Amino acid sequence: MLKHWYQAKKPRKIGKYNNAHYDTSNRGKYDAIVVGAGPAGASAAYFMAKQGLTVLLLERGPFPGAKVCGGTSLISEHTHKLFPNFWDECPCERIVTQQAYWLMTEDSLLSTSFQSTNLAAAPYNHITVKRKLFYQWLVDKGMAVGVDIHFNHHVTEVLFENNQAVGVQVSPPQNCQFFANIIILADGANAMVGQRSGLVPRVSPQDLALYVKETIALPAKVIEERFNLLPGYGSLIGVLGYPTAGFNGTSSIHTFKDCINLNVGMAISDFAISGIRPYDLLDRIKKHPLIKPLLLGGTVLEYGAAVIPEGGYHAVPELVHPGLMILGDAGSLVNGTHGINLAMWSGFFAAQAANESKKSRDFSIEKLSLYRTLLDESFIMQDLKANAKIASLQRDLPYLFDLYSKIVNQTAFHVAKVYTMPKKAKRIFIFKKITSIQPLLKMASDIWKVLKVVKG
Amino acid sequence: MNNDLQERLSLLHYQPDEKWQHVTILDQTICRDCKNKQCLTFCPSGVFRENSQKKQSLLILYKQCVECGGCRLICDNIDFSYPKGGYGVTFLEG
Repeated sequence: MLKHWYQAKKPRKIGKYNNAHYDTSNRGKYDAIVVGAGPAGASAAYFMAKQGLTVLLLERGPFPGAKVCGGTSLISEHTHKLFPNFWDECPCERIVTQQAYWLMTEDSLLSTSFQSTNLAAAPYNHITVKRKLFYQWLVDKGMAVGVDIHFNHHVTEVLFENNQAVGVQVSPPQNCQFFANIIILADGANAMVGQRSGLVPRVSPQDLALYVKETIALPAKVIEERFNLLPGYGSLIGVLGYPTAGFNGTSSIHTFKDCINLNVGMAISDFAISGIRPYDLLDRIKKHPLIKPLLLGGTVLEYGAAVIPEGGYHAVPELVHPGLMILGDAGSLVNGTHGINLAMWSGFFAAQAANESKKSRDFSIEKLSLYRTLLDESFIMQDLKANAKIASLQRDLPYLFDLYSKIVNQTAFHVAKVYTMPKKAKRIFIFKKITSIQPLLKMASDIWKVLKVVKG
Repeated sequence: MNNDLQERLSLLHYQPDEKWQHVTILDQTICRDCKNKQCLTFCPSGVFRENSQKKQSLLILYKQCVECGGCRLICDNIDFSYPKGGYGVTFLEG
């Protein structure tokens, strides 16, 4: 653990790759280069181009979303403010009318579920989307306002001149350089470009979670029957406890048009020390007696794995450097289940800062700090700050999800079960049962710790 | 080898790079003395595999990597970078 802390804090030498001998033939062609065509990068590119900047978007995959996976939903209000009435044009899967949390043990499931037709009217609340289609839609919007995009271009590092970011290096086969006054890194959770360039410290394996997913095909009608949904509407289910086999982690079920995404994951460090194979967790969930019937008859379309930053506020690195801004997952801008939305907003804010910089022809850290200021003033940083202690709470109480899922399920079982004893005796019996799992004082202290963190 | 995993990986689309390996081990002697070998269980696509003759070096099946990048964080002896442009895995289903 100390090793991780040391590596995360170790100062990096900025501008390690200072080199004045570049092929600068394309210099001056672009105002800004964006690395990564995900929600953060594509939004930044779109909003910059819309304001008249010339933008080059570089993506290492053959199409947007090719290199990432995991079920996802858009938060409608967040997206609507950036892209008004996006639901009319963007390829949506299902409008979420049921949001639920399931606390699970080996044999039981306690569900807190909210279902309402109020969620079925514009502007909605959550809408599930498929990454490939949604990312493509965002990139298409950018291209319509003049963004140049190159696919299969893998950026390896930032090029500096006197510590000012001036361009990016693309790996072979192209093996070329691109130059611009503003460099935007939106290269995802691994933040490899920033790390290699000495801008972002190495992430701790406790702050990055590994998720595996399976997309399981089922006819739309079957999905609607099994989840009690009206045609076209969907569920979003977070599952805690049983799926991560005793560790603090989460699982989720996203309903798409004619398939379901099952995700499960926990901190990389937990996978490493436990020796649990990530895909074994998927098998375990699929075999659970209460999950199995939901997936019955489905065929697995695709398996995948991806990492998500979970370090919260304290893991956010310096986001602004001379001539450079870091967006989205690369800047650890993820708050619980909110990721894509924060990424798009960070793209929007970065575009404002880029535009101001261009107008004044000043690409210094002071000028670009407008990006950080806008982030700080918005819900993004304020909510991240309010949840700042969640990451350390999960480390303090490694049994949190598992033990309390068991306790609430035990309680629910005994409350539901009818005994031949008087009600008063039953209450005492239940109390003794619970406190035999976790002593009362310990439980009170855990609850106090959780409340303190949740209150912010 | 785990059949469940092979079945899962067979669903994925890859453009393998025959000329360049994007996951490498920096020093094989460290692996020979490593007791934990967390890479063997951690990797979600089973890239790291023990040789049938235990004394041999680890096998790196980099062509089946799903590019999550987690391995570089669990072991300092693993050098991970993304494949070159145009190569590697592609996800289609979100």
